[in-house]
Amino acid sequence: MSNKKPLEEGYFVIHEDGTPALLGSYSKAADQHYFPVRKQCPITEEPVETVELPTEGELYSWTYIYMPMMGATQMGAAGHGVGQIDLPNGVRVQASITGEKGDWEIGMKMKLDLQPIIKKGDTELCTFCFSPA
Amino acid sequence: MKEDVYVIGVGMHPFQRIAPPLRDMAYTAGKAALDDAGIKFKDVGALYNGYLGANMLEGISFAKDFGLTNVPITHVENASATGSCAFREAVGQIEAGRCEIAMALGFDDMMKMGMDMMKMMSGADPKIENIILPAGFFAMWATRRMHEYGTTEETFAKIAAKNWNHARYNTMAQRQSAHEVTAEEVLASRQIAYPHTSKMACAAGGGAACAIVATKAIAEKLANGRPLVKVIGSQSKSEHYTNGHIFMGAVVGPSELTTVTTKALYEESGIGPDDVSLVHVHDAFPIEELMYYELMGLCDEGEGDRLVAEGATSIGGRIPFSTDGGLTARGHPGGPTGLAQIWDATQQLRGESGKRQVEGATNAMVHMMGAGSICIMHMLQRAG
Repeated sequence: MSNKKPLEEGYFVIHEDGTPALLGSYSKAADQHYFPVRKQCPITEEPVETVELPTEGELYSWTYIYMPMMGATQMGAAGHGVGQIDLPNGVRVQASITGEKGDWEIGMKMKLDLQPIIKKGDTELCTFCFSPA
Repeated sequence: MKEDVYVIGVGMHPFQRIAPPLRDMAYTAGKAALDDAGIKFKDVGALYNGYLGANMLEGISFAKDFGLTNVPITHVENASATGSCAFREAVGQIEAGRCEIAMALGFDDMMKMGMDMMKMMSGADPKIENIILPAGFFAMWATRRMHEYGTTEETFAKIAAKNWNHARYNTMAQRQSAHEVTAEEVLASRQIAYPHTSKMACAAGGGAACAIVATKAIAEKLANGRPLVKVIGSQSKSEHYTNGHIFMGAVVGPSELTTVTTKALYEESGIGPDDVSLVHVHDAFPIEELMYYELMGLCDEGEGDRLVAEGATSIGGRIPFSTDGGLTARGHPGGPTGLAQIWDATQQLRGESGKRQVEGATNAMVHMMGAGSICIMHMLQRAG
């Protein structure tokens, strides 16, 4: 069993083997995927179903922010990367990205990962992030 | 029947990093606008207060400093476009014939809001949607632009330096440099989020701004020899689904939103990009201003960098942008920002801007984005 849990429910799941998957919506009427989960299709206003999204994509853009992520909980780090990742189903996701400035190139393959934010007892509460594949 | 609408008064409290209480700034800006129009508060038929960070009901409370007149008071909020939204609502009151004079008042202190945000992000209950700082969204837009068009950090620095220098002659601006600011100086300032530096980031602080609009009959009666300033277009739109649409933590929305809103504004006002004398935009970072040159049709796609290199968007250039310093240097307290744009645009069209004056200014276009998801634009015209 993983001792990692989502910081908030509804954005992603962590499977038994510890791998994460983002939760999105699929609209059959529009044949479009969305992230995060939508209450209905924003194009057709028809119902959507909740689905797991692909875990790999391409880096559309990135930046390096010269301050720690999540403020005090990550103090000690000089800064952190943030990126936009295009998934193969057309969804663009914004997330923190692992590595240092100089590690990223637009168009490179990225895969979904977990980023611990807070530790509560033995459990690490995580958000999602992407890492170079 | 749709009434014509005119700006009859504008006023500001200076934007400052360390600002006095909101109540004092709101009164100063409102009273300045009333005096500029030559009216009393009892003449105002509707008041719209625009603020993001003040406490509940503070707009109603602050209005009592002007008088107790039975005037209807409404609080509006639309993120960074709050002041623009208050202005649009006031314009709508006149257009609809519901009153003859309406007032839009914006006040906020972004420094206090910023502290609350940092507490939220560093506290014991962080949220997934708050993990990326706003500076990150704009920086990613810039990085992509550099990748697609070869835009350089120097271009961003030149835009920021231009706006710092426009603000040198604006006594209401938060950043009033004693010397000419160079692109090299901007580049050498502290890194915020690659490729942006601290001197490229909008100035967060406190302030207040106010604009008063009225019917043509009232405007003519109060003109006192000054040119009239007519509101010839008012547009507000939210986003539409586009490829790569980002729902979470928007801040920077789809580029299409500015294009669609600008087209509607040109159509409504009956003028095109060649007729615009000056422009105000939501320039939280220089990537925004660069993109808006193109998205507003003021140059072709990919040609924005050339405009910067030629100095076309400086005062004295072909199409000056951010003539009061913009968000970069005039500042961006939140609620009053869109009304500060109206303040400068009105003075420019009246020919009252001194060293910042755009010669022959006839049409001024103002633009604000709210959380990347709302775009509010106005076209003001010198009307004789």
